[in-house]
Amino acid sequence: MASSIAIENVHAAYGAVRVIEDVSLRVDAGETVALLGTNGNGKSTLMKCIMGIVRPQAGRIVADIDGQKHDLVGKTPEQIVDLGIALVPEGRRLFPKLTVEENLLLGAFRKTARAQIKANMDFCFEAFPRLAERKSQLAGSMSGGEQQMLALGRALMQAPRILLVDEPSVGLAPLLVARTIDAIKQLKEHYQLTVLMAEQNFTQAVRIADRGYVIVHGKIAFEGRSADELNNNDLVRQLYMGM
Amino acid sequence: MDFPVELFINAVIAGLLLGGFYAAVTSGISISFGMLDIVNIAHPAFIIVGSYIAYIFNISLGMDPIIVSVVMAPAFYVLGMMVYQIYYLSFEKRGQESLRGLAFFFGVLFVTEVVLILVYGVDYRYVEAVYIGPTLKFGFIDLPLRMLVPCISALVLFAALHLFITRTFTGRAVMAVSQDQGALQLMAADPVRIKRIAFGLSIATAAVAGALLIVIQPIEPSVGREFIGRVFAICVLGGLGSLPGTLIASILLGVVESITATFYGPSWAPAVAFGFLLLTLAFRPSGLLGR
Repeated sequence: MASSIAIENVHAAYGAVRVIEDVSLRVDAGETVALLGTNGNGKSTLMKCIMGIVRPQAGRIVADIDGQKHDLVGKTPEQIVDLGIALVPEGRRLFPKLTVEENLLLGAFRKTARAQIKANMDFCFEAFPRLAERKSQLAGSMSGGEQQMLALGRALMQAPRILLVDEPSVGLAPLLVARTIDAIKQLKEHYQLTVLMAEQNFTQAVRIADRGYVIVHGKIAFEGRSADELNNNDLVRQLYMGM
Repeated sequence: MDFPVELFINAVIAGLLLGGFYAAVTSGISISFGMLDIVNIAHPAFIIVGSYIAYIFNISLGMDPIIVSVVMAPAFYVLGMMVYQIYYLSFEKRGQESLRGLAFFFGVLFVTEVVLILVYGVDYRYVEAVYIGPTLKFGFIDLPLRMLVPCISALVLFAALHLFITRTFTGRAVMAVSQDQGALQLMAADPVRIKRIAFGLSIATAAVAGALLIVIQPIEPSVGREFIGRVFAICVLGGLGSLPGTLIASILLGVVESITATFYGPSWAPAVAFGFLLLTLAFRPSGLLGR
Protein backbone atom coordinates (compact mmCIF):
# COMPACT_ATOMS: atom_id res chain seq x y z
CA MET A 1 0.00 0.00 0.00
CA ALA A 2 1.27 3.40 -0.78
CA SER A 3 0.31 6.96 -0.13
CA SER A 4 -0.15 10.06 -2.19
CA ILE A 5 -1.16 13.66 -1.88
CA ALA A 6 -3.17 15.92 -4.17
CA ILE A 7 -3.39 19.70 -3.94
CA GLU A 8 -6.19 21.32 -5.93
CA ASN A 9 -6.54 25.03 -6.64
CA VAL A 10 -5.10 26.17 -3.34
CA HIS A 11 -4.97 29.88 -2.49
CA ALA A 12 -3.21 31.20 0.58
CA ALA A 13 -2.32 34.62 1.98
CA TYR A 14 -0.79 36.29 4.99
CA GLY A 15 -3.25 39.08 5.68
CA ALA A 16 -3.58 41.02 2.44
CA VAL A 17 -0.42 39.55 0.93
CA ARG A 18 -1.26 36.76 -1.46
CA VAL A 19 1.39 34.08 -1.34
CA ILE A 20 -0.11 31.08 -3.10
CA GLU A 21 -2.39 31.50 -6.09
CA ASP A 22 -4.38 28.66 -7.55
CA VAL A 23 -1.73 26.01 -7.07
CA SER A 24 -2.51 22.45 -8.06
CA LEU A 25 -0.04 19.65 -7.82
CA ARG A 26 0.08 16.01 -6.92
CA VAL A 27 2.61 13.59 -5.56
CA ASP A 28 1.74 10.06 -6.57
CA ALA A 29 2.44 6.96 -4.56
CA GLY A 30 6.15 6.23 -4.26
CA GLU A 31 7.26 9.34 -6.13
CA THR A 32 9.83 11.92 -5.19
CA VAL A 33 8.59 15.27 -6.40
CA ALA A 34 10.66 18.44 -6.25
CA LEU A 35 9.06 21.81 -5.60
CA LEU A 36 11.54 24.23 -7.07
CA GLY A 37 11.76 27.96 -6.76
CA THR A 38 13.96 30.69 -5.40
CA ASN A 39 13.36 32.39 -2.06
CA GLY A 40 10.03 34.02 -1.37
CA ASN A 41 8.00 32.26 -4.04
CA GLY A 42 5.73 30.35 -1.69
CA LYS A 43 7.35 26.94 -1.35
CA SER A 44 7.37 26.96 2.44
CA THR A 45 3.89 28.40 2.61
CA LEU A 46 2.60 25.56 0.47
CA MET A 47 4.29 23.08 2.82
CA LYS A 48 2.66 24.84 5.76
CA CYS A 49 -0.73 24.61 4.03
CA ILE A 50 -0.34 20.86 3.70
CA MET A 51 0.62 20.53 7.37
CA GLY A 52 -2.25 22.68 8.63
CA ILE A 53 0.07 25.40 9.94
CA VAL A 54 -1.30 27.92 7.41
CA ARG A 55 -4.96 27.60 6.50
CA PRO A 56 -5.64 27.96 2.75
CA GLN A 57 -8.31 30.50 1.76
CA ALA A 58 -9.58 28.17 -0.91
CA GLY A 59 -8.84 24.84 -2.48
CA ARG A 60 -8.56 21.25 -1.42
CA ILE A 61 -5.68 19.20 -0.08
CA VAL A 62 -6.36 15.49 0.01
CA ALA A 63 -3.99 12.83 1.27
CA ASP A 64 -4.43 9.19 0.51
CA ILE A 65 -2.74 7.21 3.27
CA ASP A 66 -2.59 3.50 2.47
CA GLY A 67 -5.92 3.62 0.64
CA GLN A 68 -7.73 5.94 3.08
CA LYS A 69 -8.59 9.40 1.85
CA HIS A 70 -8.27 12.35 4.24
CA ASP A 71 -9.20 15.96 3.62
CA LEU A 72 -6.37 17.91 5.26
CA VAL A 73 -7.82 21.44 5.17
CA GLY A 74 -9.19 22.32 8.60
CA LYS A 75 -7.17 19.71 10.46
CA THR A 76 -4.58 20.74 13.06
CA PRO A 77 -0.89 20.01 12.47
CA GLU A 78 -1.03 17.34 15.21
CA GLN A 79 -3.86 15.52 13.45
CA ILE A 80 -2.10 15.68 10.10
CA VAL A 81 1.16 14.36 11.53
CA ASP A 82 -0.81 11.62 13.24
CA LEU A 83 -2.11 10.46 9.85
CA GLY A 84 1.44 9.66 8.82
CA ILE A 85 2.62 12.85 7.14
CA ALA A 86 5.94 14.17 8.44
CA LEU A 87 7.51 17.54 7.74
CA VAL A 88 11.20 18.29 8.10
CA PRO A 89 10.71 22.03 8.54
CA GLU A 90 12.80 24.84 7.18
CA GLY A 91 15.49 25.67 9.72
CA ARG A 92 15.17 22.13 11.13
CA ARG A 93 13.38 23.21 14.30
CA LEU A 94 15.13 20.74 16.60
CA PHE A 95 14.78 20.95 20.36
CA PRO A 96 18.19 22.51 21.04
CA LYS A 97 18.35 21.77 24.76
CA LEU A 98 17.40 18.13 24.40
CA THR A 99 19.86 15.42 23.52
CA VAL A 100 20.03 13.72 20.14
CA GLU A 101 18.35 10.66 21.59
CA GLU A 102 15.58 12.70 23.26
CA ASN A 103 14.91 14.49 19.97
CA LEU A 104 14.63 11.17 18.16
CA LEU A 105 12.33 9.71 20.82
CA LEU A 106 10.07 12.75 20.56
CA GLY A 107 9.76 11.93 16.88
CA ALA A 108 8.08 8.70 17.90
CA PHE A 109 5.40 10.51 19.93
CA ARG A 110 2.53 9.45 17.69
CA LYS A 111 0.94 6.15 18.67
CA THR A 112 1.65 4.28 15.42
CA ALA A 113 5.33 5.18 15.66
CA ARG A 114 5.79 3.95 19.24
CA ALA A 115 5.58 0.29 18.25
CA GLN A 116 8.43 0.68 15.79
CA ILE A 117 10.87 2.69 17.90
CA LYS A 118 13.57 0.05 18.10
CA ALA A 119 13.66 -0.75 14.38
CA ASN A 120 13.50 2.90 13.35
CA MET A 121 16.16 3.98 15.83
CA ASP A 122 18.48 1.19 14.61
CA PHE A 123 17.98 2.23 11.01
CA CYS A 124 18.49 5.86 11.92
CA PHE A 125 21.82 5.12 13.58
CA GLU A 126 22.83 2.92 10.66
CA ALA A 127 22.00 5.62 8.13
CA PHE A 128 23.53 8.39 10.25
CA PRO A 129 26.34 6.87 12.34
CA ARG A 130 27.21 10.36 13.54
CA LEU A 131 23.96 10.49 15.49
CA ALA A 132 24.80 7.24 17.27
CA GLU A 133 28.16 8.68 18.33
CA ARG A 134 26.50 11.83 19.63
CA LYS A 135 23.46 10.26 21.22
CA SER A 136 23.75 12.14 24.48
CA GLN A 137 24.94 15.45 23.07
CA LEU A 138 22.57 18.43 23.06
CA ALA A 139 21.06 18.98 19.62
CA GLY A 140 21.80 22.70 19.73
CA SER A 141 25.52 22.10 20.08
CA MET A 142 25.88 20.15 16.84
CA SER A 143 27.01 21.39 13.44
CA GLY A 144 24.51 22.33 10.74
CA GLY A 145 25.05 19.12 8.81
CA GLU A 146 24.58 16.96 11.89
CA GLN A 147 21.46 18.90 12.81
CA GLN A 148 20.00 18.29 9.36
CA MET A 149 20.68 14.55 9.78
CA LEU A 150 18.98 14.67 13.16
CA ALA A 151 15.98 16.48 11.69
CA LEU A 152 15.66 13.77 9.04
CA GLY A 153 16.16 11.07 11.66
CA ARG A 154 13.50 12.59 13.88
CA ALA A 155 11.08 12.62 10.95
CA LEU A 156 11.75 8.98 10.15
CA MET A 157 11.12 8.09 13.81
CA GLN A 158 7.56 9.26 13.13
CA ALA A 159 7.17 6.24 10.83
CA PRO A 160 5.59 8.46 8.16
CA ARG A 161 4.02 7.38 4.89
CA ILE A 162 4.50 10.76 3.26
CA LEU A 163 7.61 12.84 3.91
CA LEU A 164 7.73 16.57 3.24
CA VAL A 165 11.14 18.20 3.32
CA ASP A 166 11.42 21.98 3.31
CA GLU A 167 14.72 23.42 2.08
CA PRO A 168 17.07 20.76 3.39
CA SER A 169 20.08 22.51 1.85
CA VAL A 170 19.74 25.85 3.64
CA GLY A 171 22.89 26.82 5.50
CA LEU A 172 24.87 23.73 4.53
CA ALA A 173 28.19 23.43 2.71
CA PRO A 174 27.88 21.96 -0.83
CA LEU A 175 29.24 18.56 0.15
CA LEU A 176 26.73 18.32 3.01
CA VAL A 177 23.91 19.34 0.70
CA ALA A 178 24.74 16.41 -1.59
CA ARG A 179 24.87 14.08 1.43
CA THR A 180 21.56 15.30 2.75
CA ILE A 181 19.90 14.77 -0.61
CA ASP A 182 21.37 11.26 -0.78
CA ALA A 183 20.07 10.57 2.71
CA ILE A 184 16.55 11.57 1.68
CA LYS A 185 16.74 9.14 -1.21
CA GLN A 186 18.01 6.39 1.10
CA LEU A 187 15.15 6.93 3.58
CA LYS A 188 12.64 7.03 0.79
CA GLU A 189 13.78 3.73 -0.64
CA HIS A 190 14.06 1.97 2.70
CA TYR A 191 10.61 2.99 3.91
CA GLN A 192 8.93 3.25 0.47
CA LEU A 193 7.93 6.79 1.22
CA THR A 194 6.23 9.32 -0.96
CA VAL A 195 8.35 12.48 -0.89
CA LEU A 196 7.68 16.12 -1.63
CA MET A 197 10.80 18.26 -1.34
CA ALA A 198 10.93 22.04 -1.55
CA GLU A 199 14.36 23.16 -2.61
CA GLN A 200 16.17 26.03 -4.25
CA ASN A 201 19.24 24.02 -5.07
CA PHE A 202 18.02 22.86 -8.44
CA THR A 203 20.89 20.58 -9.49
CA GLN A 204 20.88 18.69 -6.20
CA ALA A 205 17.12 18.32 -6.02
CA VAL A 206 16.79 17.09 -9.58
CA ARG A 207 19.29 14.31 -8.87
CA ILE A 208 16.75 12.35 -6.85
CA ALA A 209 13.44 13.75 -8.16
CA ASP A 210 11.13 11.80 -10.44
CA ARG A 211 9.27 14.93 -11.41
CA GLY A 212 9.09 18.54 -10.38
CA TYR A 213 7.21 21.80 -10.33
CA VAL A 214 8.70 25.25 -10.60
CA ILE A 215 6.86 27.81 -8.49
CA VAL A 216 7.22 31.51 -9.30
CA HIS A 217 5.39 34.27 -7.39
CA GLY A 218 3.04 31.75 -5.84
CA LYS A 219 1.99 30.11 -9.09
CA ILE A 220 3.09 26.90 -10.74
CA ALA A 221 5.11 28.25 -13.68
CA PHE A 222 6.23 24.95 -15.08
CA GLU A 223 5.56 21.28 -14.55
CA GLY A 224 8.34 18.91 -15.52
CA ARG A 225 7.07 15.39 -16.03
CA SER A 226 10.57 13.99 -15.71
CA ALA A 227 13.96 15.06 -14.47
CA ASP A 228 15.01 15.49 -18.12
CA GLU A 229 12.16 17.83 -18.84
CA LEU A 230 13.21 19.94 -15.88
CA ASN A 231 16.82 19.97 -16.95
CA ASN A 232 16.00 21.08 -20.46
CA ASN A 233 13.40 23.72 -19.73
CA ASP A 234 14.03 27.32 -20.71
CA LEU A 235 12.41 28.82 -17.63
CA VAL A 236 14.51 26.65 -15.37
CA ARG A 237 17.66 27.64 -17.26
CA GLN A 238 16.71 31.25 -16.93
CA LEU A 239 15.99 31.04 -13.20
CA TYR A 240 18.79 28.81 -12.09
CA MET A 241 21.55 28.99 -14.60
CA GLY A 242 21.31 32.56 -15.79
CA MET A 243 21.03 31.46 -19.40
CA MET B 1 38.54 26.05 71.24
CA ASP B 2 38.21 22.73 69.45
CA PHE B 3 36.08 22.55 66.36
CA PRO B 4 32.77 21.01 67.48
CA VAL B 5 32.80 18.04 65.10
CA GLU B 6 29.68 16.42 66.50
CA LEU B 7 27.69 19.61 66.23
CA PHE B 8 28.92 20.11 62.69
CA ILE B 9 27.99 16.60 61.56
CA ASN B 10 24.56 16.90 63.10
CA ALA B 11 24.10 20.25 61.36
CA VAL B 12 25.00 18.66 58.03
CA ILE B 13 22.59 15.79 58.59
CA ALA B 14 19.80 18.13 59.62
CA GLY B 15 20.58 20.09 56.45
CA LEU B 16 20.36 16.98 54.29
CA LEU B 17 16.97 16.17 55.76
CA LEU B 18 15.79 19.75 55.33
CA GLY B 19 17.12 19.75 51.76
CA GLY B 20 15.11 16.65 50.92
CA PHE B 21 12.00 18.47 52.06
CA TYR B 22 12.94 21.57 50.03
CA ALA B 23 13.16 19.28 47.00
CA ALA B 24 9.52 18.31 47.44
CA VAL B 25 8.49 21.94 47.79
CA THR B 26 10.50 22.97 44.72
CA SER B 27 9.69 20.05 42.41
CA GLY B 28 6.40 21.62 41.35
CA ILE B 29 8.04 24.99 40.63
CA SER B 30 10.79 23.21 38.75
CA ILE B 31 8.12 21.94 36.37
CA SER B 32 5.92 25.05 36.07
CA PHE B 33 8.63 27.72 36.16
CA GLY B 34 11.58 25.66 34.93
CA MET B 35 9.95 23.71 32.12
CA LEU B 36 6.79 25.58 31.19
CA ASP B 37 7.97 29.18 31.72
CA ILE B 38 4.96 29.81 33.95
CA VAL B 39 5.90 32.00 36.91
CA ASN B 40 3.53 30.39 39.36
CA ILE B 41 4.26 32.39 42.50
CA ALA B 42 1.03 31.01 43.93
CA HIS B 43 2.63 27.58 44.22
CA PRO B 44 3.33 27.97 47.96
CA ALA B 45 -0.35 28.82 48.45
CA PHE B 46 -1.31 25.47 46.93
CA ILE B 47 1.19 23.85 49.28
CA ILE B 48 -0.49 25.50 52.27
CA VAL B 49 -3.88 24.30 51.02
CA GLY B 50 -2.32 20.82 50.94
CA SER B 51 -1.21 21.32 54.54
CA TYR B 52 -4.70 22.32 55.67
CA ILE B 53 -6.30 19.35 53.90
CA ALA B 54 -3.85 17.01 55.65
CA TYR B 55 -4.68 18.82 58.91
CA ILE B 56 -8.47 18.49 58.48
CA PHE B 57 -8.37 14.76 57.76
CA ASN B 58 -5.83 14.21 60.51
CA ILE B 59 -7.85 16.03 63.15
CA SER B 60 -11.29 14.76 62.20
CA LEU B 61 -10.55 11.19 61.10
CA GLY B 62 -7.09 10.60 62.53
CA MET B 63 -5.70 9.77 59.11
CA ASP B 64 -1.99 9.90 58.36
CA PRO B 65 -1.19 13.28 56.76
CA ILE B 66 1.13 11.87 54.08
CA ILE B 67 -1.34 9.19 53.03
CA VAL B 68 -4.08 11.85 52.87
CA SER B 69 -1.89 13.90 50.55
CA VAL B 70 -1.24 11.00 48.19
CA VAL B 71 -4.97 10.33 48.00
CA MET B 72 -5.66 14.02 47.41
CA ALA B 73 -2.97 14.41 44.74
CA PRO B 74 -5.32 13.47 41.83
CA ALA B 75 -7.76 16.19 42.95
CA PHE B 76 -4.89 18.70 42.98
CA TYR B 77 -3.92 17.46 39.52
CA VAL B 78 -7.39 18.29 38.21
CA LEU B 79 -7.33 21.64 40.02
CA GLY B 80 -3.98 22.41 38.41
CA MET B 81 -5.30 21.58 34.95
CA MET B 82 -8.22 23.94 35.52
CA VAL B 83 -5.97 26.74 36.73
CA TYR B 84 -3.75 26.28 33.67
CA GLN B 85 -6.77 26.35 31.36
CA ILE B 86 -7.87 29.69 32.84
CA TYR B 87 -4.31 31.02 32.62
CA TYR B 88 -3.99 29.80 29.03
CA LEU B 89 -7.28 31.25 27.79
CA SER B 90 -6.91 34.55 29.64
CA PHE B 91 -3.22 35.27 29.20
CA GLU B 92 -0.99 32.84 27.35
CA LYS B 93 -3.19 32.56 24.26
CA ARG B 94 -3.20 36.34 23.93
CA GLY B 95 0.52 36.66 24.58
CA GLN B 96 0.03 38.58 27.82
CA GLU B 97 1.41 36.00 30.19
CA SER B 98 4.49 37.85 31.39
CA LEU B 99 3.02 40.68 33.43
CA ARG B 100 -0.69 39.96 33.66
CA GLY B 101 -0.05 36.28 34.23
CA LEU B 102 2.19 37.19 37.14
CA ALA B 103 -0.53 39.43 38.54
CA PHE B 104 -2.99 36.55 38.14
CA PHE B 105 -0.87 34.23 40.27
CA PHE B 106 -0.29 36.99 42.82
CA GLY B 107 -4.05 37.24 43.05
CA VAL B 108 -4.44 33.50 43.49
CA LEU B 109 -1.82 33.61 46.24
CA PHE B 110 -3.54 36.36 48.24
CA VAL B 111 -7.09 35.12 47.71
CA THR B 112 -6.12 31.64 48.89
CA GLU B 113 -4.35 33.04 51.92
CA VAL B 114 -7.25 35.30 52.88
CA VAL B 115 -9.80 32.52 52.47
CA LEU B 116 -7.73 30.27 54.73
CA ILE B 117 -7.45 33.04 57.32
CA LEU B 118 -11.22 33.66 57.21
CA VAL B 119 -12.00 29.98 57.63
CA TYR B 120 -9.27 28.80 60.00
CA GLY B 121 -7.92 31.99 61.52
CA VAL B 122 -4.26 32.75 62.06
CA ASP B 123 -3.60 30.16 64.78
CA TYR B 124 -0.82 27.68 64.17
CA ARG B 125 -2.14 24.23 63.27
CA TYR B 126 -0.33 20.94 63.53
CA VAL B 127 -0.95 17.27 62.89
CA GLU B 128 -0.38 14.14 64.93
CA ALA B 129 1.38 11.03 63.69
CA VAL B 130 3.51 8.30 65.25
CA TYR B 131 6.66 9.61 63.61
CA ILE B 132 6.32 13.11 65.02
CA GLY B 133 8.33 13.12 68.22
CA PRO B 134 10.68 10.11 68.26
CA THR B 135 14.29 10.48 67.19
CA LEU B 136 16.61 7.75 65.96
CA LYS B 137 20.03 7.94 67.61
CA PHE B 138 23.23 6.49 66.17
CA GLY B 139 25.94 7.44 68.63
CA PHE B 140 26.01 11.22 68.61
CA ILE B 141 24.00 11.41 65.37
CA ASP B 142 20.37 12.42 65.72
CA LEU B 143 17.79 11.54 63.09
CA PRO B 144 14.44 13.04 64.08
CA LEU B 145 11.69 11.04 62.36
CA ARG B 146 9.72 14.25 61.99
CA MET B 147 12.39 15.25 59.42
CA LEU B 148 13.42 11.82 58.15
CA VAL B 149 9.96 10.67 57.03
CA PRO B 150 9.27 13.83 54.97
CA CYS B 151 12.75 13.63 53.47
CA ILE B 152 12.27 10.03 52.32
CA SER B 153 8.77 10.77 51.04
CA ALA B 154 10.16 13.74 49.12
CA LEU B 155 12.85 11.61 47.52
CA VAL B 156 10.25 9.04 46.42
CA LEU B 157 8.11 11.81 44.95
CA PHE B 158 11.15 13.23 43.21
CA ALA B 159 12.22 9.90 41.74
CA ALA B 160 8.70 9.30 40.41
CA LEU B 161 8.61 12.72 38.76
CA HIS B 162 12.05 12.24 37.26
CA LEU B 163 11.08 8.86 35.80
CA PHE B 164 7.91 10.33 34.35
CA ILE B 165 9.73 13.26 32.74
CA THR B 166 12.61 11.28 31.27
CA ARG B 167 11.01 7.95 30.42
CA THR B 168 7.56 8.69 29.04
CA PHE B 169 6.55 10.29 25.76
CA THR B 170 4.45 12.90 27.54
CA GLY B 171 7.33 13.64 29.92
CA ARG B 172 9.78 14.24 27.11
CA ALA B 173 7.21 16.48 25.43
CA VAL B 174 7.06 18.47 28.69
CA MET B 175 10.81 19.05 28.46
CA ALA B 176 10.46 20.20 24.85
CA VAL B 177 7.35 22.36 25.10
CA SER B 178 8.98 25.64 26.08
CA GLN B 179 11.73 25.25 23.45
CA ASP B 180 9.58 25.12 20.31
CA GLN B 181 5.82 24.64 20.44
CA GLY B 182 5.48 24.58 16.65
CA ALA B 183 8.02 21.80 16.34
CA LEU B 184 6.20 19.88 19.04
CA GLN B 185 3.03 20.04 16.96
CA LEU B 186 5.01 18.50 14.12
CA MET B 187 5.65 15.57 16.47
CA ALA B 188 1.85 15.12 16.75
CA ALA B 189 1.76 16.52 20.32
CA ASP B 190 -0.67 19.27 21.29
CA PRO B 191 1.43 21.82 23.25
CA VAL B 192 -1.53 23.15 25.24
CA ARG B 193 -2.51 19.66 26.33
CA ILE B 194 1.09 18.88 27.31
CA LYS B 195 1.31 22.06 29.37
CA ARG B 196 -2.04 21.37 31.01
CA ILE B 197 -0.86 17.91 32.09
CA ALA B 198 2.48 19.24 33.32
CA PHE B 199 0.90 22.09 35.29
CA GLY B 200 -1.60 19.65 36.79
CA LEU B 201 1.32 17.51 37.92
CA SER B 202 3.14 20.46 39.41
CA ILE B 203 0.08 21.31 41.52
CA ALA B 204 -0.33 17.63 42.46
CA THR B 205 3.14 17.77 44.04
CA ALA B 206 1.90 20.68 46.18
CA ALA B 207 -0.56 18.34 47.92
CA VAL B 208 2.30 16.12 49.03
CA ALA B 209 4.66 18.98 49.84
CA GLY B 210 1.93 20.54 51.98
CA ALA B 211 1.52 17.40 54.06
CA LEU B 212 5.29 17.14 54.51
CA LEU B 213 5.41 20.78 55.61
CA ILE B 214 2.81 20.36 58.34
CA VAL B 215 4.64 17.25 59.57
CA ILE B 216 7.83 19.28 59.92
CA GLN B 217 6.38 22.42 61.47
CA PRO B 218 3.07 23.91 62.61
CA ILE B 219 1.58 26.16 59.95
CA GLU B 220 -0.68 29.16 59.57
CA PRO B 221 -2.01 30.60 56.28
CA SER B 222 0.90 32.96 55.51
CA VAL B 223 3.72 30.48 56.14
CA GLY B 224 3.82 29.77 52.39
CA ARG B 225 5.25 33.21 51.69
CA GLU B 226 8.49 32.28 53.42
CA PHE B 227 9.05 29.74 50.71
CA ILE B 228 8.44 31.89 47.63
CA GLY B 229 11.95 33.33 47.45
CA ARG B 230 13.60 30.12 48.49
CA VAL B 231 11.91 27.83 45.96
CA PHE B 232 12.60 30.11 43.01
CA ALA B 233 16.19 30.48 44.18
CA ILE B 234 16.60 26.70 44.35
CA CYS B 235 15.09 26.36 40.92
CA VAL B 236 17.50 28.87 39.39
CA LEU B 237 20.45 27.50 41.34
CA GLY B 238 19.81 23.97 40.11
CA GLY B 239 19.36 25.04 36.52
CA LEU B 240 15.97 25.73 34.96
CA GLY B 241 14.21 22.65 33.74
CA SER B 242 16.56 20.20 35.41
CA LEU B 243 14.99 18.02 38.11
CA PRO B 244 18.31 16.46 39.18
CA GLY B 245 19.73 19.99 39.41
CA THR B 246 16.80 21.02 41.58
CA LEU B 247 17.44 18.09 43.92
CA ILE B 248 21.13 18.92 44.28
CA ALA B 249 20.39 22.62 44.80
CA SER B 250 17.73 21.82 47.42
CA ILE B 251 20.13 19.69 49.41
CA LEU B 252 22.94 22.23 49.07
CA LEU B 253 20.70 25.01 50.28
CA GLY B 254 19.40 22.86 53.12
CA VAL B 255 22.92 22.05 54.31
CA VAL B 256 24.19 25.63 53.96
CA GLU B 257 21.20 26.99 55.88
CA SER B 258 21.50 24.39 58.58
CA ILE B 259 25.22 24.95 59.15
CA THR B 260 24.73 28.70 59.21
CA ALA B 261 21.81 28.42 61.60
CA THR B 262 23.80 26.15 63.93
CA PHE B 263 26.96 28.22 64.09
CA TYR B 264 25.85 31.79 63.47
CA GLY B 265 22.15 31.80 64.34
CA PRO B 266 19.00 31.18 62.30
CA SER B 267 18.59 34.78 61.16
CA TRP B 268 21.75 34.49 59.04
CA ALA B 269 20.56 31.38 57.21
CA PRO B 270 18.61 33.04 54.38
CA ALA B 271 21.34 35.63 53.79
CA VAL B 272 24.03 32.98 53.40
CA ALA B 273 21.78 30.85 51.22
CA PHE B 274 21.03 33.71 48.86
CA GLY B 275 24.66 34.78 48.85
CA PHE B 276 25.44 31.27 47.71
CA LEU B 277 22.88 31.65 44.92
CA LEU B 278 24.42 34.93 43.74
CA LEU B 279 27.89 33.38 43.68
CA THR B 280 26.70 30.40 41.68
CA LEU B 281 24.96 32.64 39.18
CA ALA B 282 28.04 34.79 38.83
CA PHE B 283 30.18 31.83 37.84
CA ARG B 284 27.60 29.56 36.26
CA PRO B 285 24.60 31.56 35.03
CA SER B 286 22.73 28.51 33.74
CA GLY B 287 22.71 26.98 37.22
CA LEU B 288 24.36 23.81 38.47
CA LEU B 289 22.92 21.40 35.92
CA GLY B 290 21.27 23.83 33.52
CA ARG B 291 21.49 22.86 29.87
